[in-house]
Amino acid sequence: MAKILIPTPLRQFVEKKDSVELSGATVGDLLAALTSQYSDLRRHLFSDEGKLRSFVNIYVNDEDIRYLSKDATPVTDSDTVSIVPSIAGGRHGS
Amino acid sequence: MIKIEQAAWDVMVSHARTTYPNECCGAMLGSVDGDQKAVQVAVALENAFAGAQGAFYQLRPEDLIKADAEARRQGMDLVGIFHSHPDCDAYFSKTDLENSCPWYSFVVLSIQKGEFHHANSFLPDPDQTVAVQEELQHPR
Repeated sequence: MAKILIPTPLRQFVEKKDSVELSGATVGDLLAALTSQYSDLRRHLFSDEGKLRSFVNIYVNDEDIRYLSKDATPVTDSDTVSIVPSIAGGRHGS
Repeated sequence: MIKIEQAAWDVMVSHARTTYPNECCGAMLGSVDGDQKAVQVAVALENAFAGAQGAFYQLRPEDLIKADAEARRQGMDLVGIFHSHPDCDAYFSKTDLENSCPWYSFVVLSIQKGEFHHANSFLPDPDQTVAVQEELQHPR
């Protein structure tokens, strides 16, 4: 089973675990299994339209799935999946 | 409430002063107990924005993954992000809000003429439309 690392603020939705191991052939499978098993987590990762929220990036090991095969990116039991936010900003704009 | 311990605070202020007049950024590691957060370690990260960094910062997700791994290694949590506003107040700008995420505390340090002036902490909402200020305690 692949390991999904859970960011601290989201652990409250996965029984306070810091990682979850799930079976799936692709990243899409894993995320579906994760949010099916822990339904309260879903709204924190996906919009009402079912798309990953704009600030959510998914990495398989050290690779951003946007530069692989997105949801269809294959995963194996030895892979680690990270949920990583996009963060930027700046002093302009009141 | 977020409380920053001396060692972490020293790293944050030093990073903000060293990178002045550009914006700096970094990660805050510590512990969370409900709404109470304690920051024991600050990790200075590189501003990855490719353009002028005097008014913009960008974190590399890869750096955030490393910071999270370091937190896990030390038995801590990644609890927040910090960045600086050179010659500007420590408010949460529209740019900050539109590029934030609701999972972490965002501490903003105002650096005036190269020296620390004041700081505030903010909690953005999931829709990136509003950020609530949270109580911040830091050493003098």
